[in-house]
Amino acid sequence: MMTVFSGYVIEKRLVPSSTSFVIVPLVSIILALLVGAVFLVLSGHNFWEVYKVMFAGAFGSIYGITETIVKAIPLTITGLGVALAFRMQLWNIGGEGQLYMGAFAATWVALNFSDAEEWWVLPLMITLGMLAGGLWALVPAIPRAIWGVNEIITTLMLNYVAIFWVDYLVYGPWKDPNGYNFPLTAPFSPAAILPVLGHSRIHAGLFFGLFIALLFYIIIYHTRWGYEIRVCGESPDAARYAGININKNILLVMFVSGAVCGLAGMAEVSGIAHRLQHGLSTGYGYTAIIIAWLSRLHPFVIIVVAFLFGALQVGGYIVQTSGIPSSMVAMLQGLLLFFVLGGELLTNYRIARKTPAYSSGDDAS
Amino acid sequence: MSNKSWRLISVFILVLLISLAAAGCGGGGIDENKNEVEKLKVGFVYIGSVKDGGWSQAHDEGRQYLEKELPYVDASDYVENVPESPGDAERVITQLAEQGNKIIFTTSFGYMDPTINVAKNYPDVTFLHCSGYKTAENVGAYFGRMYQARYLSGLVAGKATVSNIIGYVAAMPIPEVIRGINAFTLGVKKVNPEAKVKVVWTNTWIDPSAAKRAAEALLDAGADVITQHQDSPAPQQAAQAAGKLGIGYNSDMSKAAPKAVMTSPIWNWGPYYVETVKAIKEGTWDSTPKCASLTYWGGLEDGVVGLAPFGPMVPDEVKQLVEQEKQRIISGAWDVFTGPIKDQKGEVRIADGKRMTDEEMLNMNWFVEGVEGTIPAPK
Amino acid sequence: MTAPYLVELKNITKRFPGVVANDGVDFNVRKGEIHVLLGENGSGKSTLMSVLAGLYRPDKGEIVVDGTRRVFRSPRDAIKAGIGMIHQHFKLIDSLTVAENVILGDDSTPPVLRLQDIQRKLEELSKKYGLHINPSSMVWQLSLGEKQRVEIVKMLYRGSRVLVLDEPTAVLTPQETHELFHILREMAKAGRGIVLITHKMQEVMEIADRVTVLRRGKVVATLTREQINRRELAWLMVGRDVVIQYKKKGSPGNKKVLEVDNVHCLSDLGRPCLKGVSFTVHSGEIFGIAGVAGNGQRELAEVITGLRPVTGGKIMIDGIDTTGLSPRQIIDRRVAYVPDDRLGTGLVPGLSAVDNFMLKSYRQSVLRRGPLLNKRAAYQNSRELVKQFEIQISSLDAPVKLMSGGNLQRLLLAREITSEPLLLVAVYPIRGLDIKATQSVHNILLQQRDKGVAILLISEDLDELFKLSDRIGVIYDGRITGIMPAEMTDVEEVGLLMMGSAGTGEMAT
Repeated sequence: MMTVFSGYVIEKRLVPSSTSFVIVPLVSIILALLVGAVFLVLSGHNFWEVYKVMFAGAFGSIYGITETIVKAIPLTITGLGVALAFRMQLWNIGGEGQLYMGAFAATWVALNFSDAEEWWVLPLMITLGMLAGGLWALVPAIPRAIWGVNEIITTLMLNYVAIFWVDYLVYGPWKDPNGYNFPLTAPFSPAAILPVLGHSRIHAGLFFGLFIALLFYIIIYHTRWGYEIRVCGESPDAARYAGININKNILLVMFVSGAVCGLAGMAEVSGIAHRLQHGLSTGYGYTAIIIAWLSRLHPFVIIVVAFLFGALQVGGYIVQTSGIPSSMVAMLQGLLLFFVLGGELLTNYRIARKTPAYSSGDDAS
Repeated sequence: MSNKSWRLISVFILVLLISLAAAGCGGGGIDENKNEVEKLKVGFVYIGSVKDGGWSQAHDEGRQYLEKELPYVDASDYVENVPESPGDAERVITQLAEQGNKIIFTTSFGYMDPTINVAKNYPDVTFLHCSGYKTAENVGAYFGRMYQARYLSGLVAGKATVSNIIGYVAAMPIPEVIRGINAFTLGVKKVNPEAKVKVVWTNTWIDPSAAKRAAEALLDAGADVITQHQDSPAPQQAAQAAGKLGIGYNSDMSKAAPKAVMTSPIWNWGPYYVETVKAIKEGTWDSTPKCASLTYWGGLEDGVVGLAPFGPMVPDEVKQLVEQEKQRIISGAWDVFTGPIKDQKGEVRIADGKRMTDEEMLNMNWFVEGVEGTIPAPK
Repeated sequence: MTAPYLVELKNITKRFPGVVANDGVDFNVRKGEIHVLLGENGSGKSTLMSVLAGLYRPDKGEIVVDGTRRVFRSPRDAIKAGIGMIHQHFKLIDSLTVAENVILGDDSTPPVLRLQDIQRKLEELSKKYGLHINPSSMVWQLSLGEKQRVEIVKMLYRGSRVLVLDEPTAVLTPQETHELFHILREMAKAGRGIVLITHKMQEVMEIADRVTVLRRGKVVATLTREQINRRELAWLMVGRDVVIQYKKKGSPGNKKVLEVDNVHCLSDLGRPCLKGVSFTVHSGEIFGIAGVAGNGQRELAEVITGLRPVTGGKIMIDGIDTTGLSPRQIIDRRVAYVPDDRLGTGLVPGLSAVDNFMLKSYRQSVLRRGPLLNKRAAYQNSRELVKQFEIQISSLDAPVKLMSGGNLQRLLLAREITSEPLLLVAVYPIRGLDIKATQSVHNILLQQRDKGVAILLISEDLDELFKLSDRIGVIYDGRITGIMPAEMTDVEEVGLLMMGSAGTGEMAT
């Protein structure tokens, strides 16, 4: 417990009140917009116009909505991936790297079987992409399981390794021979490209996201394995007591978590980029962490929150055309995050009058 | 608690009042716009910030020039800091088209495929992509012969170096950058056959800290003049901090490092943008590639590229030499890549008196003699 | 004006919901003395010292320091008044140096640090009392004994004249204990007052100038050094009215369900913990383990249930060697376990009652439907158990952390018993429960015994042990120091054994 100022303390709520789930984020967003409005007005902008354009950019047209969905696809998939690990209190910060490794393996298939106009190219890309992401996540999972090595640091560091590995490939061995030396692989053949929805850029990755959300929901709440994951996450001591093999679950959960992030990478190269390139992801694996957290790790909520984050990014660029510098947009996005995360704290904690003595005997600090 | 919450509430009320007042003022502005005559809307997409002091700023200065010169143009729609990631670029370009822009300039190589993709859906919009090699009915590819200005700056550097090691902080091993390095080296070697140009890749256009580290590594390796192909003045600042000299790029970088910068090869897009927009409006423009794969590839003669004013440390003798060479290029009598030119292995790649074609220059993927560095090659 | 006492607690009363932890307690510390506070777990020692250290505010009574009445609003006030508390769990930051730890949280530290001055002062203090501490070493490099000395020097640095040490020897090796006592004597000689909380007889005899014995929140006696005698102390500490034993149906069976043979294991800190424990529990028998907390009870239970590796010896359950088997394999051998950490080990705090009911049975076919869990069966099972065991519950879906202690224990027992165990290991099953809840837990245990289950009951409550047990074994310092049929022994004998004093033969009266 920490003291804020004399007489009051911030206490953890035993059970967050149910209404706060909806009200607190809403109030947080309104507060962020209000504070943002002050900054916009101070820098001589019409905040109402800015918000209108931002909203219209993301939701105001069919195109805006489809693009928001396009942006939400990798966010949903990686969000689901890291959320599974978070369930077990495995802090997989490596979604970004696992995404890149998935993209790498999928590209390997696409480049090596570029002549094969066969039905099996895409399934093979999916399989190998997931396998690569999963194995990449196992690298930090093994030392975590055996020696208790902190996975936050190892997963984070492996992100850089994966990104630099892909950079090495696109700048070197995998560079498109017809690409004027630019850091891009050759474009994929049609057999290696995910089908899209109508004339939009929404690709089959959307269904990956929806399917995995449903699958995870069933696994977590309705299967024995999911039950084990929940017990391990809530209380490792109880898990050990119940005879649950924690190490096995660490490996399994990290593998699946990484595999799902790898699938996001596969979907991004095959559905959007149609080739591997430098800067494939704009930090999806990191944004996924915030999304998972805000969604309280619930698979269906992740879809919704990822969509909202997609909207925030889509709306963010378009609002520049009303004369808002991109730094201002970044500030607005930052404010929204700051307030929503701050509000999150409020749902779990409350301010209470300090009692003269704590009633629990063992916490004497 | 009550005290605190009152303070909080009063702040909210204040914020609300300010916001409402501002909304009132803004409302009038929107109506005025609607009453104006329909203007020709021109949009721009930038990889960096319009204040980056480099590549994107140079394009944005061109945009401002365009707005000033052609009163019927509304070029207020520009989007900065757009990543080259496939997800974002394509959407931003589409949204510019959706907002009624009839001409859209996309100013980074990575926007090439997205531009082509979007152009298919908007046949009545003209797209102009800078630095790529793909064109279409309504997509033009434009660029400037920066290598000419690079060559001139090489003359300055070659005269200035004492250690005979010149450092070059390069972005990515693509033909544009390689061509610049080669042209610069040819300039250096013309006045100083002993000098070497060391190249370090940063693999990024905009990362001032990476650029600074690369420059410091080159300074450690004995370089006493630092030049660069980056979107920030960080390498010149590193040179100034080490008491060494430098040559900028993109725009006049003497403000960022006045003691170091001797000159900078710079872009001047304004006149080209004005000419192009006029031609499109009048229907005289077409996208046919005229210089190899490019619709437009202007050089010193058009003023699209040039040198920024010299710093006080540059002797008059050098200034005269630069002017002389510049006139030689403008006259068309000679161009930078005219043989004999040897590659790093000492083999003659361009025979005596032969001029490289535009096609060859746009595909350049080898270093001339005098460059120390490697180009990663596909397998 | 000089007061006779450095500090004086007068008529202190402190109530917690349902318990009076201190009831009109008088306690004082003289200049230059070592005053031992003796008592069983739950006798109110820690509460009393927390009052003295400013952690709790007493409901009644006053604190007098140097003849002046004081009110402590926080530990800070107590430290300012010269009272320093050294807890069992050190409050040090590993990544900082000793000196940095010492000034941490000290109000008198100037905003601009002069570490050399502080280090010099610490060196002086260290030399004066023979603490052997290097102020610039990093805390993570120190042994437990050294860390404890850092806590001491921290209090000395802050000007504490009264030092309270809460079971300081629990984590120390014999050598370290010896050194610590030497330091304490030096400090007393220098005019400081020392309060030592312990329940080891040996330590009382070795170091105490005076002893105050607490029992059930009240002072039963304060004795001077000359008045101290082992038997007297043991009786004062545990002595009470004769306990009424529950009626036993029949006698234990002859089937050996649990055989523990010369078992060794290590503590969490990697020190030898169990040092050769042997006993047997038969079917239909309650075998009670008495002992002061921290003598290896928890570890014993963990060794039997497979949660802690055995470093020597053998464990047989139902005639089969289970040494080194996994917890899951032991669960499958029909061993039920009620751990001391009810909420966190025995139950998952954040999960619902339904989820907690199936913690051990979720793998069984009843709760399976293909790859999925049969939620309907789980709910039905939960509803039945809630009814059968009279568990008060607002919703089967609410996290169990919201439930009261008694209900939690019934939930836990209900789950463990429905597995129809051969052996039930119960550790401190009534800790923190009120009388009614205690009764219902005891009834459940007796029913199980009558059904033929072998029960290993580990408890610190002698009343409970005498009421329920068929035989009682006493554990002290990782060894069983005596095993006796419950009706052939008395609390006095068990109490002495618990404090590590003398063998049974010598004590027989």
